[in-house]
Amino acid sequence: MSGPVQVGGQRSLSVTVRGVLRRAVDVYRDQPQTAQWLRHQLDRLDEPLRVAIAGKVKAGKSTLLNALVGERIAPTDAGECTRVVTWYCDGPSPKIVMHPREGPLTPLPVNRQDGALIIDLQGTPTEALNRLVVHWPSQSLRTATLIDTPGIASMSTEISRRTLAFLTPEDDSPTEADAVIYLMRHLHATDAEFLESFRDQGVGRASSVNTIAVLSRADEIGGGRVDAMFSAKTIAQRYRKDPTLRGLCQGVVPVAGLLAQTGRTLRQAEFDALTELSRAPREEVDGLLLSTDRFLRADCAVSPTVAVPAIHPMEGSGGRSELLARFGLFGLRLSVTLIRQGTDTPSALAEELVRRSGLDELRQVLNTQFTERRDLLKARSALLALDSVLHGDSRADSGPLRGEVERILAGAHEFAELRLLSALRSGAIILPKAELDEAERLLGGSGGATEVRLGQPLGSGADELRQAALEALARWRRRAENPFSGRALADACRVVVRSCEGIVARRASDS
Amino acid sequence: MTQAAPVKAVDLALATIAQYGRSDLEDRLRQARARLLDEQVRVLVVGEFKQGKSLLVNGLVRAPVCAVHDDMATSVPTVVHYADTPVAALVRLLDTESDDDLSRRRTERIEVPIDELAKHISENGNPANRERWSYAEVGLPRRVLTGGLELVDTPGVGGLNSVHGAATMAMLPSADAVLLVSDASQEYTRPELEFLRQATKVCPNVACVLTKIDLYPEWRRIAELDRAHLAAVNIDAELMSVSSTLRVESIRTQDADLDAESGFSALIGYLREYVVGRADLLARRSTVHDVLVVTDQFAGGLRAEQAAQLDPDSAQGVIRQLTEAQQRSAALKERSARWQHTLSDGVADLNADIDYDLSDRMREIVRQSEEEVDRGGDPKKTWDQLSTWVEQEVASATSANLVWATQRARWLATRVADHFSEEQNRLLPKLRTDVADVLGSVRAMQLRQGEPYGIAQKALSGLRGSYVGVLMFGMLGTLVGLSLINPFSVGAGLLLGGKTITDERRRIVSRRQHEVKAAVRRYVDDVKFQASKESRDMLRRVQRDLRDHFTAQAEEMNRSLGDSLRAAERSVKTSKGDRERRLVEIKSELERLETLQQKVRTLLPQENQRQENSTRAIPEQGR
Repeated sequence: MSGPVQVGGQRSLSVTVRGVLRRAVDVYRDQPQTAQWLRHQLDRLDEPLRVAIAGKVKAGKSTLLNALVGERIAPTDAGECTRVVTWYCDGPSPKIVMHPREGPLTPLPVNRQDGALIIDLQGTPTEALNRLVVHWPSQSLRTATLIDTPGIASMSTEISRRTLAFLTPEDDSPTEADAVIYLMRHLHATDAEFLESFRDQGVGRASSVNTIAVLSRADEIGGGRVDAMFSAKTIAQRYRKDPTLRGLCQGVVPVAGLLAQTGRTLRQAEFDALTELSRAPREEVDGLLLSTDRFLRADCAVSPTVAVPAIHPMEGSGGRSELLARFGLFGLRLSVTLIRQGTDTPSALAEELVRRSGLDELRQVLNTQFTERRDLLKARSALLALDSVLHGDSRADSGPLRGEVERILAGAHEFAELRLLSALRSGAIILPKAELDEAERLLGGSGGATEVRLGQPLGSGADELRQAALEALARWRRRAENPFSGRALADACRVVVRSCEGIVARRASDS
Repeated sequence: MTQAAPVKAVDLALATIAQYGRSDLEDRLRQARARLLDEQVRVLVVGEFKQGKSLLVNGLVRAPVCAVHDDMATSVPTVVHYADTPVAALVRLLDTESDDDLSRRRTERIEVPIDELAKHISENGNPANRERWSYAEVGLPRRVLTGGLELVDTPGVGGLNSVHGAATMAMLPSADAVLLVSDASQEYTRPELEFLRQATKVCPNVACVLTKIDLYPEWRRIAELDRAHLAAVNIDAELMSVSSTLRVESIRTQDADLDAESGFSALIGYLREYVVGRADLLARRSTVHDVLVVTDQFAGGLRAEQAAQLDPDSAQGVIRQLTEAQQRSAALKERSARWQHTLSDGVADLNADIDYDLSDRMREIVRQSEEEVDRGGDPKKTWDQLSTWVEQEVASATSANLVWATQRARWLATRVADHFSEEQNRLLPKLRTDVADVLGSVRAMQLRQGEPYGIAQKALSGLRGSYVGVLMFGMLGTLVGLSLINPFSVGAGLLLGGKTITDERRRIVSRRQHEVKAAVRRYVDDVKFQASKESRDMLRRVQRDLRDHFTAQAEEMNRSLGDSLRAAERSVKTSKGDRERRLVEIKSELERLETLQQKVRTLLPQENQRQENSTRAIPEQGR
């Protein structure tokens, strides 16, 4: 269990799921392939959470991955770039392994250029590859394995198909990812369609719980004006209220991926160049930053005094183009403004860039939605896998197993919470706004910690929390017993009551 | 429209032929004149949303006429055209019985202050076009708009295959040019290329505009990639890179360098020289053609008379030839003429084909949706998704059908013209193929609100089942001598009751499935009815236009030949003195016509003149 204050016995849930899987392995021992696959699911329970990053072409998936890891390990490019599903997981030393569709695993050489990892397939056609796995020693990858996917609506149908096949397999076998970060630049019909297809997965019927939407490339909104991120926040706010999207994902977070990536990998030389740039007269710098072409023109007549030193010994505007590629016009405008306002160290600038990029919010949301629910999401994936086996192959002795799966799904309160959360979010159960917010919070919709569930400030005293928990319990009991509540509503209220009871019980056992 | 020179030429021709008293030919020239004055060159600005379409239009006309917002998008198309003073208006198409003549459809037009327009046409003030405006009109005194240029800023389509996308597609056949706007953040996506491919089929000029090049350092790469994509699918379209931000900035600061960097001059050049220029050339060509054809008819008559007057002995031969020609031209008017057959058969075939195509597409949609309903269980839950899907599919099927119909109609017109021109000059009249907003006039799909399967109903139907159960088992009990209500029969009643509830639910689900299927069918039928009426009307208009045009031509020729014939016959009877005087007259009249023709020919550039002289074939494409 990851958090010390979580409600309900998630440890016991994963123990039960493990037990069922072991029994299943035993039942299917005469079918080596199935047994092997189930054993693989068993192992998966101990692995870090698998989070796939999906979205349309050029939504900024690889850039966001780099920002989350804090290193440039996913190749990025102006054209369509990621063409193979690529896994990034924690490992003792850097290693790239090619998983072909057929044949043995092939290691690839690890090359870095200017801090960016170069993946050279050595001529292997991408169609022949199932996936690439990059092992990389990184703190960020220890909690979650990140999976970079090729873009949807790619020019090449084949590449789109690969992502769809990975995330929403045709043959009803469960997806390999436990959770999804979905990137979009604007809400498109195809985005909603994709999210919907990802939602409709039988077991647990907890749909939106493992998806977070990201409004990506937020710095480009409104032509990269310095206030672009404010606009982005307003847009994200609107999307969060959008009924279709609400039912499809846990939240919408605006992130300027490039800014975040650069902020996390800022170098002294870059900071020096920016400082020098910000020292030049304001009008000249503004003129330079009007367009990328102006900035790149080394002999720009408008500003003869500004000489950006080349970071690398390249010719002409090499230093500038490198700078531009790393920051983008918005990043440059922002950095220059920040330095002018007194940000005087690289670390301070880096911190400010990351803060403004919205990456912190995203990590916060990822933490509450995915990391804290790790065991639950893992258990869900495992049950999905087991369920597909049981459905695909009905044998006489699988009956008890099926019953067991059913029992876990129906009995475990965690699944009940997830189901109700997604029902509430999709608007299937109607509650007044304030009560809806409270119910979602109590069910763990904004985080599993007791304080968060109760809507109390962090660090509240034990007595206050207990008091709040008892009040919430009483309130929801009344609602559950209200004869005017419909049946669905009463059921929902009972689930919330059960969550409240869990909080109270936990407070009691803790003290 | 700056068609001053062609208009003058037509006026001159009208003055020259006034003395012959041929009202039919004068009418023809007057029509040409009216067409010249009224010519609009419509340019559609299309693309996915948030690509900078509105800002592009604003940049082109150097005024903030279209609403620009970081988040909210345009929801109503805006037509920007030339006007002597700035003016803005909102136009709403009123619901009327579909009329044959689109120009007679009633519209409601409300003038608004130009700075309040944005409020009405963006998602902000008018979400999802709640006020049902058909389009907004803006008139601006801008040089770029002269020459009849009309810029249409369309709502972003949000997936080019959506309902909006289909509506945009339906506008394509009436456009002279299409600008596909896509920003430099990424290369073309599949829907964009698909759209381009469709557009090039029905629109003569398609160009691509890469926007926001100020923001993306790699825009040259993107432009290259886009060109490669275009080449890969064999689309021959120009790609221009612009930055509206720089353009706006340059207007503010009056900075010529910035303006040059914005790339707008190339775009404006394209619009002015290529699009407007081409439309202008087309207009000139058809003017030259009209004048030449008309004057040739007079000159032909005069020459025949001249020949007869010069050599009275050969007059009989001339008369014989003219009689034959007149018979031939009379035959051309008849229903039995080959072009008439081609036309009527072609239209009949086309009607059947288009109808079949539409039905086929619609049937497929109905089939797929029914499969979906059968598979999906209770349709109440999936209704929203399903209805959106159906609407989208129907929209794209209708527009695909329309595009196809337009193509076929044009092809038919060419064939008819071919057959006609075996005897006559080949000239297509302008076709009217614009179709009203088919989808707009169809009612939105509605599903009868399914009755809530609440607890009360459940109880009632449960009771009904158990009552019968009780009765049955009670009867059974009576038969074996037990009292009516005994524990055994109550238990059995409960059991049967439970069964009835699931039965009832299944029954309701299956009824809902039927209702959904019926709703989809009804919707598809409605659309099909409207769409096939529209396409039938369109074809009928095409048929009528073609028939009238060619019959009128045959008629004119017939009358001219008749005139020549009479003149030739007259010449046989005239005296020598009269003959000589007449010959001088003819000579001067021919010279006058010749000067006119010379003058009119100068309207065309050199290479076109040559073509003009060699073939006399002026394919005036219906636009």
